[in-house]
Amino acid sequence: MILSSIVFLPLLFALLIAIWPKANTIRHLALGLSLIEFLVSLSIFKHFDASATGLQLVEKFMWIERFGIQYFMGIDGISLWLVLLTTFLTPIIILASWTSITERIKGFHVCMFILQTAMLGTFLAMDAIFFYVFWELSLVPMYFMVGIWGGARRIYATVKFFIYTMAGSVLMLVAIIYMMYLTQEATGQMSASLLDFYKLQIPFVGGTFFSLQTLLFFAFALAFAIKVPAFPVHTWLPDAHVEAPTPGSVILAGVMLKMGTYGFMRWVIPLFPEASEYWAWLFMLIGTVGIIYGALVAMVQPDVKKLVAYSSVSHMGYILLGLFAFNAYGMGGGLYQMLNHGISTGALFILIGMIYERTHSREISKYGGLAGVLPIFTIFFFIITLSSIAVPMTNGFVGEFFILLGTYQANPVFAYFAVSGVVLGAVYMLWMFKRVFFGEQGELVKDEHHPLHDLNAREIAVLVPMVIMVFWMGLFPNHFLNYSKASIDYLVNNRSNYNLTIVQPGAVDVTHAQGEN
Amino acid sequence: MNINIGLSDILLISPMIALFLASLLPITTKVLRGNREQHSLITLSQALIGIVVAVVLLVVFGGADKTAFNNGLIFDGVTQWMGIISLAAAGAAMVMMYENPATKGKQFSELIFLAMSSAIGMLILVSAVDLLMVFIGLEMMSLALYLMIAMSHEEKLSKEAALKYFVLGSFASALFLYGVAFIFGSTGGTNILSFMDNAAELVQTSRLFLFGVTFVILGFCFKVSIAPFHAWTPDVYQGAPTPHSAFMATAVKTVSFAAFLRIIATKSLTGSDHLFDILQWLAVITMIVGNTAAILQNNFKRMIAYSSVAHSGYLLVGIITAGVSDNGAFGASGVIFYLLAYGLMTLGAFAVASMIEKSENHIVNVDDLAGFAKQRPMLALCLTVFLLSLAGIPPTLGFFGKFYLFNAAIGEGLLWLAVWGVLNSVIGVYYYLRPIVVMYMKDGEAEIAGHSLNATTVTAVVMAVAIILMGFVSGPIFSAVEKSLL
Repeated sequence: MILSSIVFLPLLFALLIAIWPKANTIRHLALGLSLIEFLVSLSIFKHFDASATGLQLVEKFMWIERFGIQYFMGIDGISLWLVLLTTFLTPIIILASWTSITERIKGFHVCMFILQTAMLGTFLAMDAIFFYVFWELSLVPMYFMVGIWGGARRIYATVKFFIYTMAGSVLMLVAIIYMMYLTQEATGQMSASLLDFYKLQIPFVGGTFFSLQTLLFFAFALAFAIKVPAFPVHTWLPDAHVEAPTPGSVILAGVMLKMGTYGFMRWVIPLFPEASEYWAWLFMLIGTVGIIYGALVAMVQPDVKKLVAYSSVSHMGYILLGLFAFNAYGMGGGLYQMLNHGISTGALFILIGMIYERTHSREISKYGGLAGVLPIFTIFFFIITLSSIAVPMTNGFVGEFFILLGTYQANPVFAYFAVSGVVLGAVYMLWMFKRVFFGEQGELVKDEHHPLHDLNAREIAVLVPMVIMVFWMGLFPNHFLNYSKASIDYLVNNRSNYNLTIVQPGAVDVTHAQGEN
Repeated sequence: MNINIGLSDILLISPMIALFLASLLPITTKVLRGNREQHSLITLSQALIGIVVAVVLLVVFGGADKTAFNNGLIFDGVTQWMGIISLAAAGAAMVMMYENPATKGKQFSELIFLAMSSAIGMLILVSAVDLLMVFIGLEMMSLALYLMIAMSHEEKLSKEAALKYFVLGSFASALFLYGVAFIFGSTGGTNILSFMDNAAELVQTSRLFLFGVTFVILGFCFKVSIAPFHAWTPDVYQGAPTPHSAFMATAVKTVSFAAFLRIIATKSLTGSDHLFDILQWLAVITMIVGNTAAILQNNFKRMIAYSSVAHSGYLLVGIITAGVSDNGAFGASGVIFYLLAYGLMTLGAFAVASMIEKSENHIVNVDDLAGFAKQRPMLALCLTVFLLSLAGIPPTLGFFGKFYLFNAAIGEGLLWLAVWGVLNSVIGVYYYLRPIVVMYMKDGEAEIAGHSLNATTVTAVVMAVAIILMGFVSGPIFSAVEKSLL
């Protein structure tokens, strides 16, 4: 019951907050509840077996028997860290929004918890329709978050976000239904279970677009590519990021984008191995173009939040590149980079939110010389900047290094181009850092009517866990990767014939006993 | 010709008799009291009791493919489910009539009498298998409806709507009758059961029969507002009092689709590729026209009217699926389930509109809803649920409705219709989100009725809760529907 409680506790919390009578204690309540949720999610470790390749802690019930749709949840090394990332970021986001969200506090926290349920469900659902329900549900609270608490062009941004994502995913729904019929043909019993989907042998013909596996592949890939967002369909992201309130940006960059890359790892690559292999060049190309394009566009942004938004496009390009390298370095690096990006970009958005609360501007040109006025803020910002440009000892380095290594093995040409992204990343981040923190004091910084105050205890409490994670993940990547290694190796080695098994709770002990005999 | 009416016939039509008796109560009381209106609440409860009794009788005596009146009426799963859905929708619409400014108060007994008569017509329509019986049901339902619309306290738009509906409705009936005449000419009978087994063959061998079936189908296309026969829908839904629009969009549409299913169940489509192609294109065109036109609307009721055109397009996909598949029950139950979902969400949306209306002349515009979420958080939340459900966002009932409908279509190989369907639902999202955007994200003071309409509020809340909760148990409901059709 662990996974069910992890997924549905936030929904319960949302209800509790909705009926909570006292407006002035909602924030405290929400923070406490999200911490409880985090602790509950940590209890996964007690039962999680890092050496197993299959699905663990499985919960499986028939939901809609007529179509073989199940209430089916399971966790493995791929989804484990994404679940923890979600539960880790939520209390931080709630604490960070303490002063920035001032109206409709109740509604905001209700949205937050519903969103958490939807995201966790997306990572844990192992039944196609069950997954789709969570996938689409996640749009609704995010839509309200951007639309109600966002900036000036929030309505345009939120409607664009919603329609873009929805447009991508409806074709996936058709593909899912089609695959349900394929399972019926293959086994006589219709099923929407992902494990049954894995067993399908879908005919593939290279060289043409109109072969069954290719079409299904693109129906899924489009949905996930929009969510990632991959290069040509990324345009909703800068709008949504810039207009979203700080907590919205953090959750969007931190977790929601990962739903797309997770989709590639969990659904696209193992379900359509031949098609992914055949079209890998396309996605590596998209990834590489995204890296360079995102970096170049980020460089010229006058708005610091937009700069970070485009840096997301660049970073997500790395992840896509790593996943389609199809080797242990690329995939492992891709997964690791998902977590890194969640931490470092999330932290960047929080930092930008903090300075925005003080000055109500995000124009880089209006800043300058901030380092002398806000020393603590500067230190935090610098550490996160380093993490974002992947300096060794920070988390970003590990992820990018693995991805580039994997890409080089798979296709050196893409690696040559992708490496330039590392340089460009340093360029736009450091240049922005220089313009904001050093040099002559900008008009906002020397404004004597509004003296700037350095970070208070609450804000430091928000940032410290992030900084700890930056170094922890940078110095001891194995603490994290060891849990995912078995699953990723299994995916890499059995890609063309992927088959997840369900690990029974007692099964591990049996093999140990046999080993002793 | 000797006519025997046995006890079983009477028992089978007992729901209609119950409705008829209940419809007489208020109007008779009014006459006996010297043309003085009794309290509206009593009138309403008499009508609702009649409906409940009718539903119970329908469940108890109907079912198991029993036929009555010399095979004129059939009582099978379709009759029961569609009958229950339409009666429930009619009941909910009557609750709205009780409180809406355009319909409440004076002449309420007459209104309820007409609405109940219309409901009797509906029951005849869902159970009719003889085409002439279908015609009787259709006319009984429609004639009462024309009068109901014209009776509105509003002076101008409702009269126009009534006249327009009357003219176009009569035109549709004429088309239908024309088709029936051809069918009679080519087969020597008007009973669907009599040519059920060889219809697929007849459309190939007999031009006259094909002609007749086509006209009958076109007549229904008018009734359920399939583009390009949909032009009356927005005007009528806009001009009619809101409860009546709800009545038409849900109850009337449900029973019209039920009769449509009966014609389609003859498998004429499998015989004629042309007819099959035409209907597929009609479905695609209807979805596109309904959705794109709805984007341009600012009047809330007009927007829902176009959305109802689009939903007719989705439903037509289900009808086509039922018409060509060997296992028609799957497609048909998809249609029935979708009508259930669609009925709940459309009634809900109209109920909220009905509560916003200050007077009989009040026009509800989407742009005027700014600030509604702050003034009436509960209602705004309900409307959000209805709109998201109409847009087909999981886990609402609307999503599962679409899922079953398109699932059946894909299973039947109509993949391209399903793709058109889902792409259209993306277009739909755009205009369904607009009221939500305005309600929640724009500041303002919405011009809304100050008084609270209690029964209508309860109806809306119940429906919103049902839409969310029934989403989770949609599987068993769907299986129950499908089992009853086998």
